[in-house]
Amino acid sequence: MFLTLIRRELLDNLMTFRFAAAVVIMLLLVVANTVVLIKDYEGRLADYNTAVKTHRQELLERKTYSDGMGKITLDRPPNPLSIFNTGLDKRSGNEINVSHAFTPTIWDAKKHEAENSFFNIFTSIDIVLIFQGILSLLALIFAYNAIAGEYEHGTLRLVLSHPVRRGSILFAKYIGAIVCLFVPLLMSLLLMLILLTTSATISLNTDDFLRIGGIVFTSLIYLSLFYLIGMLISAITRRTSTALILSIFVWGFLVLVYPNLILTAVDTAPQTDTKPATYHQVKQMWEEFERKRKQFLRNDAVPGEDWKLSFYTRFNDQPSRLLYYHYPGGDLETIDEKSEPQVPHAQNYHHYLGMLTVNIAERRWLIRKPVFETIYVQPANKARILLKFSPAGLYDAATEAWTGTDLNGTQDFFRAAQRYRQAVVNYLHDEKIFASRQWFSADQGSVDWNTLPQFSFHRSDIAINAKRAVPDLFLLFMMNILLFIAIFLVFVKSEV
Amino acid sequence: MWHITKRELYNNLNSLRFALTTVLLLALMVTNAVRHTREHSKRVQQYHNAVTESMNRLTAIADDSLYELARQGPGTFYKKPSPLHFCADGGETSLPDRVGSSYDRRRFWRLAYPDANINMMNLGPDVSHIDWTFIIGYILSLIALIFTFDAISGECEHGTLRLTLANAIPRHTVLIGKFLGALISTTIPFMLAMLVNLLILSTSSAVHLNAQAWGRLCIILFIAFLYTCLFLALGLLVSARVQRSAVSLVILLLTWVTFVVFMPSTLASLASGFSSSMARYEYFDRYGQSYHKFRRTWRYAWYQSNDEKMLRTRGEWHTKMAVNEERLNGEYLTFKITQVQRARAITRISPAAFLQHLLEAFAGTGLDRHQQFIENVQRYAREYREFIVDMERGDPESLHIMGVREGMSQKPVSPEAVPKFEDTRNIGKDFNTAAMELLLLTLFVVVLLAGAYLAFVRVEI
Repeated sequence: MFLTLIRRELLDNLMTFRFAAAVVIMLLLVVANTVVLIKDYEGRLADYNTAVKTHRQELLERKTYSDGMGKITLDRPPNPLSIFNTGLDKRSGNEINVSHAFTPTIWDAKKHEAENSFFNIFTSIDIVLIFQGILSLLALIFAYNAIAGEYEHGTLRLVLSHPVRRGSILFAKYIGAIVCLFVPLLMSLLLMLILLTTSATISLNTDDFLRIGGIVFTSLIYLSLFYLIGMLISAITRRTSTALILSIFVWGFLVLVYPNLILTAVDTAPQTDTKPATYHQVKQMWEEFERKRKQFLRNDAVPGEDWKLSFYTRFNDQPSRLLYYHYPGGDLETIDEKSEPQVPHAQNYHHYLGMLTVNIAERRWLIRKPVFETIYVQPANKARILLKFSPAGLYDAATEAWTGTDLNGTQDFFRAAQRYRQAVVNYLHDEKIFASRQWFSADQGSVDWNTLPQFSFHRSDIAINAKRAVPDLFLLFMMNILLFIAIFLVFVKSEV
Repeated sequence: MWHITKRELYNNLNSLRFALTTVLLLALMVTNAVRHTREHSKRVQQYHNAVTESMNRLTAIADDSLYELARQGPGTFYKKPSPLHFCADGGETSLPDRVGSSYDRRRFWRLAYPDANINMMNLGPDVSHIDWTFIIGYILSLIALIFTFDAISGECEHGTLRLTLANAIPRHTVLIGKFLGALISTTIPFMLAMLVNLLILSTSSAVHLNAQAWGRLCIILFIAFLYTCLFLALGLLVSARVQRSAVSLVILLLTWVTFVVFMPSTLASLASGFSSSMARYEYFDRYGQSYHKFRRTWRYAWYQSNDEKMLRTRGEWHTKMAVNEERLNGEYLTFKITQVQRARAITRISPAAFLQHLLEAFAGTGLDRHQQFIENVQRYAREYREFIVDMERGDPESLHIMGVREGMSQKPVSPEAVPKFEDTRNIGKDFNTAAMELLLLTLFVVVLLAGAYLAFVRVEI
């Protein structure tokens, strides 16, 4: 009996005009957008490759260590799964300088952009957005007459005259609808994968396929949630026309209005123009640096700052990002006989300052980190939490976590950059490079940059993605169960 | 006919959808107004600070000498924030708010067009803020469909249509009556919400709407009205063609989602995805080439002493260099804007994009406004250069060699005499750019209404 009910539901849903129309529209949108998104990804990948090459070239042209310090540039590769959910992948910075003088963060990143920046006035669409908008609508369209329609036609009475429990009727309807909703999801996924395989530059590994599986699973839970919302409305109102209108209002509110409304009402944009209050602390550190430097020079064997060797100072002051540093360096081609006696002193001086710079950079990071957390990360997280009051927000957050384009996933790269910086600093320590002649002079040959530790970045593995997606998934799942219980209670108590 | 309208109206006013609509629109409009009052004063303050700073800089340079005024240029120009920003956001955050004029030790000033400072620091989710474009484009259109989807098919189902037509009423009267009824019942909640919105705005001290702004608001209202008519006509058309109201609503919803929600962005990204993106490198190549050409041609200008001939050559170098670079900057900007305009033209298949363009044009935001701002700046730059030449002619002591310190007037200039930049907007011009779209929108409404009429005439009861 149970199977008969499921079969009936399936046929009822699949053989309808609304199903055909929705599937066709969805497939069209998915194909059009996939083509564009793949092209966009390929463009970004090409940009990334050129950027890596140019940055390497720029580094190799540097002859001394001090000169190369600001020129070690790491590039963030685009995420192939950003096709599913773009998240922060396109928006946040994708190149970062590594230097011993500061700890790199997402806020210090720059962007290499070859694209026409005016195109940013258009909102971008990704696949998850299409699922989120159209499939949820389809779920509601399936659901609105699930109970109310049968009630109106009187078929419900007929079915209940058989010895079936009400719970199994509900469950059969639910299973039937979910299977029906799974069809367009699967079809669009299939088309997407076909399109993805035609592209030569995108290669997905096993982990990526598992992540896509995660996205599909999340989508299913999301859709079932909308189906259950529709069913609940249908069970309560008992009239198809009312149920339909109410469902559409609920859909419009949850998917379209709420995300925009709540973030318009609650201002979560960080105040980027203002100078953080802790800026003077950072400034003080560098005043101390300057004092120590002068003191060192006073106590030095060579009187004054009167170097025959010409040094320059790298300087950076960005109050809004608490970035302030300066350190001396040089790119001398030759050192003449007369200045030769000064070289040991210069080595000593640079060694002392190099150590001091690293030390201050570490101390400043202790100040910068909490400030950034309060100014940027907390508002962003607050906005995300506010969005999660709508299932659409939960779905978006969960899929972002699967693709690795969420804040955490994007930060992974910058954490890797920080680790790499530490490796570089350790290398400088171990090889005593601050105290070496090559720090400021290339007269005995330029630096072999290949001996420097190499940077490599891999996206976090699937277990971490899953761990980040699970809380939102769990919430979605709990909502499903609660709604199902509610529907069951309403349906059981209703008179036929 | 008035009976039918009245009946429709009473039917609608007592329905659930009317109550939901009113609540939803009110919530949206109040949020919009509150946000605008909060943001607008901040925006205006920022603009005024920037302009004052720019003016102070100009005064300081003018006090120095005419030569410095000619070398360092008029500084940065800022786009004046529109008081009607709440009507259309227009992607203002991704458009640049300024045009710079850059100079350095060697080179004279020229206009430079910096990219928008996209907020990379903002790690929050990407949502669009609620403006009238959103409320009218998405919500009001959906509401119009919800009010009309069962106008004919619903009556067909209940059999009341047969009853109505049994009286001696022509069919077009019934259709027009239904149309008017639906129009009035969608307009009432919208008007109510809009009045609350404007009430909040006009009582707050932060926003000042002058007579021109109110005029623009009236036009925007008219556009909203036309746009609602479009969707009402569409609803009636589908409702007349389809026998069952549920099917009619499903068709309408799918059409709406495709055309209003997904079509604009999909078409825009299609257009942007297939436009050439190599322009930037090309631009830098051309920039570098022209610079080297200049270096080769004028290399000897730097060798010699300060005799008059050399000064003239050097002056020529400076002047031509600035003109050339400004031309290149301008060409690159034009190229980029043309690309975007093309993409925008393609999105016009969707009525929501139509509405957005129209509202942006009259609210004074968005890309068209940005172009107008750039034109204003370019006109001012010409004026400024003419002013320098005029002042130079007026100084009998100078050698009248533009572009070098030794050849130009060293006298300070009174800051009041320097022309001031004004970022003006002209409602007539806005109307001209929007006239075509307005006409098309009207045409769409007429076509859809005619379609609805034809469909209704053929309905068998």
